[in-house]
Amino acid sequence: MSCQPIVMRQKTVPDYLFNSAEKFPGKPAIFHGNKSLTYHELSSQAQSQAAWLIAQQLGAGFRGGILSDDPFEYVSAYFAIQLAGGIVVGLNTQTSERSLKALMTDSGISVVFTQKKFHRFLSPVASQLQSLKLIASDDEFPCRGTKYMWVDRQAILRTNLQIADFPAVQPDSIAQLIYTSGTTGSPKGVMLRHANLVANTSSIVSYLKLTDFDRVMAVLPFFYSYGNSVLLTHMAVGGSLVVNQNFLYPNVVLDEMLEHEVTGFSGVPSTFALLLNRSAIHKYHFPQLRYITQAGAAMSPKLAGQLKKVFPEVEIFIMYGQTEASARLSYLPPEDLERKMGSIGKAIPGVTLKLLDRDGRPVADGETGEIVAVGDNIMEGYWGRKQETDQVLRAEGLWTGDLARSDQEGYLYIVSRKSDMIKSGSHRIAPKEIEEIIHEHEAVHEVAVVGEEDEILGETIKACVVLKPGMTCPPKELLLHCRRNLPAFKVPHQIVFFTELPKTATGKIIKRQLMADG
Amino acid sequence: MNPPNPTTQIRSFIFENFLFDADESSLGNDDSFMEQGIIDSTGVLELVEWLEETFSMKVQDEELVPENLDSVNKLTAFISQKTS
Repeated sequence: MSCQPIVMRQKTVPDYLFNSAEKFPGKPAIFHGNKSLTYHELSSQAQSQAAWLIAQQLGAGFRGGILSDDPFEYVSAYFAIQLAGGIVVGLNTQTSERSLKALMTDSGISVVFTQKKFHRFLSPVASQLQSLKLIASDDEFPCRGTKYMWVDRQAILRTNLQIADFPAVQPDSIAQLIYTSGTTGSPKGVMLRHANLVANTSSIVSYLKLTDFDRVMAVLPFFYSYGNSVLLTHMAVGGSLVVNQNFLYPNVVLDEMLEHEVTGFSGVPSTFALLLNRSAIHKYHFPQLRYITQAGAAMSPKLAGQLKKVFPEVEIFIMYGQTEASARLSYLPPEDLERKMGSIGKAIPGVTLKLLDRDGRPVADGETGEIVAVGDNIMEGYWGRKQETDQVLRAEGLWTGDLARSDQEGYLYIVSRKSDMIKSGSHRIAPKEIEEIIHEHEAVHEVAVVGEEDEILGETIKACVVLKPGMTCPPKELLLHCRRNLPAFKVPHQIVFFTELPKTATGKIIKRQLMADG
Repeated sequence: MNPPNPTTQIRSFIFENFLFDADESSLGNDDSFMEQGIIDSTGVLELVEWLEETFSMKVQDEELVPENLDSVNKLTAFISQKTS
């Protein structure tokens, strides 16, 4: 199940931007709305911000947060932080005060790039963040009498400073923390080195055969690993990204695909479910579209079949991976889509995948085992969480928690996932985080949160609640409580009341039964 | 008694489902749901389902565009156009 390792030059992530800016200075790197930014402009913006960051003497490996849904701002700040020797922390823009505080505290962010629309989340918590020193925003952020300072981001850009002396950023330096929901409830920061991201980027570029002619429709947020890999792979080849990440109106995205003659499209199953079921996609024709990639969760064979029917000439790549692997671990080549329906394919170049039993021994052919991965793309570990790191990074490699079997030709099929993570849209949601919030409500005795199958989203969130004796609480009040404390995408879609929850003899809630209860 | 005004009904729906206890003044009738981050892609589907049920109308796939759905006033105009 292993492939030839790919040979690559030692590089760091910002080299992608510099190389493309040198080769294609006048070419648009990013299109968004009716604006675009060339590689030269993007590189200049990144350098001005990096020069400013270096002057702030935040120290090697400082954590720079980005809380922005403006792709020009996000991408230029992303490269700036890394150029200045820092670690990027892309913050989820669908947030709450509580989530933001938790992530910024955990990562120890000292500088954050943000926009006015997110000030309302940041304002109430900023003074509680011990490490926060600087807030870079185009709009004033009140900071009288505080330890942190607001800096006008536009003024930084106007300096047009170029970097004369880069801090020594090594391939082994941490480039980025990507937060992923953990089974413990609180999200964990996956530490990715420059070398991890470069290895994965090179591998993806090779199997997707990306070139500077490629222009991808980027609908996935950059703060998740899939969106991050779409960004890096297209920057690496000097391609272009057409960015529309809210995906509220699929028809708008289709119009943009046509207008910009995109050659590629990347989505999660819910992206394709929305496009196929709630858009006018059947009335469009995309002669330039060359490839579609799908990852993020298992796509049903029915949906994959529908997609192939709508795009018979387009190469469809089914992919599998984890944030802990920088993004990608395996892919199913387009020519095998129909022959190997339901498979996640084989290891990508540079990665070895093994199926092991609980004791680390390879399982017999056709038997189910846990997918364990080895490759240069595998993370350094979880930020500040050695014990949890040691649980998944073991002598055999990265233990993914996903159980699979292999067919006679070595194609892998996921059988089940060990964790009870809910996959809704492009989000991975830990039920425990929601359960903890609901449990804080005074009327709640017990709660279990499960995913419920949904044609569009993959799964929706169902909270099964038992109230304390004699207490009443309308579902609306519990939803309001969730809304106040959780980002919108983690608020349950339905609340169902029970007199008691089904349990095993040892008192463990039987979630499977709650999922089936509908 | 006059039937409720669609604008009032839309505002009630938006507050009840997306803004909860936010202040009435926090949403102007011309404010873009997209710009303000009020609704996500699931929210649009919920909104459409509500429109179809409440106003007995069928929203076609090609009508799922911001020009029709992205503010209280745009929704009011869309309902009026569809039900007239």
